[in-house]
Amino acid sequence: METEDDVFNLEKLIVQLDGLHTELSQLTKKSPNDGLNLFKLKLVNNVLGSGNQVLTGNYKPFEDFNEFEEVTLPTNSDVTMILALYKEQAERFRSDNMIYSQHRWQYVINGEPSAIEGRPPTKIGTIK
Amino acid sequence: MFFVNVFMALVLHKRVYALLDGNYNHFNSCLVNNKSVKTIMAIIRPRLTDHFGIPLSQADLDFAIPFLEEDIPLYVDPFMLWRSPSQQDNALHASLLSAFNNLGILVRDNKEEQALEILIAASECDEVGLGTSATRHGKRIGKASAKEIINLFKRIPQYARSGFRHFEEIQLFVDGVSKDRISDITCSFLKSFLIDFTIQQCDKLGIPKVSSEVQNVYDFRKNIFETQSAISLPINPKNGKPLIFVPKRWLRYVPWLSYDDYFKYYCPQDEISHKPEELRHIEVLNYNRDNYGVIDNYIKEKERTFEDCHNDPLFSQIPITSAKRRFSQIQKLPTGKTDGADIAYEELMGQLLPSLLYPNLDFAQEQARTDSGVSIRDLIFYNSASTPFLKDIYDTYGARQITMEMKNVQAIERIHVDQLNRYLADELGQFGLFITRNPLKKAEFKRTIDLWSGQRKAIVVLTDTDIGQMVELFESKQRNPIDVVVKKYSELRRSCP
Repeated sequence: METEDDVFNLEKLIVQLDGLHTELSQLTKKSPNDGLNLFKLKLVNNVLGSGNQVLTGNYKPFEDFNEFEEVTLPTNSDVTMILALYKEQAERFRSDNMIYSQHRWQYVINGEPSAIEGRPPTKIGTIK
Repeated sequence: MFFVNVFMALVLHKRVYALLDGNYNHFNSCLVNNKSVKTIMAIIRPRLTDHFGIPLSQADLDFAIPFLEEDIPLYVDPFMLWRSPSQQDNALHASLLSAFNNLGILVRDNKEEQALEILIAASECDEVGLGTSATRHGKRIGKASAKEIINLFKRIPQYARSGFRHFEEIQLFVDGVSKDRISDITCSFLKSFLIDFTIQQCDKLGIPKVSSEVQNVYDFRKNIFETQSAISLPINPKNGKPLIFVPKRWLRYVPWLSYDDYFKYYCPQDEISHKPEELRHIEVLNYNRDNYGVIDNYIKEKERTFEDCHNDPLFSQIPITSAKRRFSQIQKLPTGKTDGADIAYEELMGQLLPSLLYPNLDFAQEQARTDSGVSIRDLIFYNSASTPFLKDIYDTYGARQITMEMKNVQAIERIHVDQLNRYLADELGQFGLFITRNPLKKAEFKRTIDLWSGQRKAIVVLTDTDIGQMVELFESKQRNPIDVVVKKYSELRRSCP
């Protein structure tokens, strides 16, 4: 990450992915094959769009997937699965950009510990 | 009278306007255009809008779209005009009663012959095409029946004194008068308004009109039926006769005031006869004539409960629970013809799909055809081009109607694809669906791709899984069930070169 904005964008993405995943998991439990309505689908695609900007290179879950198309009629379970993968990769990206310095976990900006504190990483040891 | 005068002014104004419009040439060119004639032949159960290539869903229109070859199986219920919150409808009901009660005035003035003539002329209204006729042509009542109706003004003191409140009460006194007659009499007396309504709708939707002669238009100033000429109306291309539209909000299967309803729930049957075999229709009618108080109470009770009286839709979707039940039955059916499984499959699909696809696709009819000695059952839908996808297949494949061929087989074979291919002719459109149990095998799927590549014909397959998803969407309403068809079509197109 190069700027503080990158950190804020990542944190925002993680929160949005968590929220959507939680909501859609409940829908999936109720009716996995039901289609997601266009309003929700648009929101999901917006978040996935942000995800694609933040999660590049090895962090992008699928090379040939960017967003859901309306005509493919994605089901609740389809969307939940993709959100879960984006969520995992966002957390991997975050973990890889945390450093323990001065007795606290901080985000790394331009290779240096920044003043922004964060949660401890959960995906330690992954390849950058 | 004030409302009647207002209507008459409106009528005259619109007629003049209609005469000035320039649609005649266009309409005539449509009539003589061979392609149009060919289209009528090809479309299954053609409707006026389909004939003119105006793709509209019945649900989006204010009137019942007339069929070209048969009647619409609904009737105008004059009670709908009385119970309507619209001042216009109430005023029309008042005009209707004024015209009908004028027959009583003629009787009182010893002009019974004139009253009979008017009633006989009013008893049929072919232009609206409501009822059950397969030919769009009905018969007028005979002089004897007309006389029986006219005699009510003499026989029943209340009618002689103050006329009818609801003229459909005649069903309760005269044999042979039922919902179709009530509907026709209503339409005949209100024909002038209906002509204006038709002109207005045609102008709004771009339906071509032609200058026509309309018989039996009631003149409220002279209280007689007249033939009016040079009225711009749409024409039935099958027989060249003018068509008149009827507002959907007036239509019901059975009138709110009907003999059957009266007999079942309000008629004091024990008073008429203690022996069921003697409780015949004619005895009930005779009893009613001598006991007007019973009829009066029936009418008052029906007026009191007017809020329960609603118009009937031209198509009703089955409830969600029924849709789920039918799909569950379909899933349990074996493939093939064992124990009539193929017929059961076709029947269940025939009940399910029209509801799942409504209102995007109006159901036309279930049709049986034979190809190479094999009996095939199809579901035919009118394409209303109401969504971008439907518009696309309307434009790309000329799909004015959509054919769904049902196949309760383990696997679709090459012969099945060829049969549907032959059926997808130019006139019907080049887009069709298989409704079947399992996905196509690789070879047959490739054949559908080849058909698209070579002849630009699209064959989409809906399996049990897809129907299941449509039922789920029908229940959840998160997306439209027709989106499953869109998805399958998009999958096909992605596989095409």
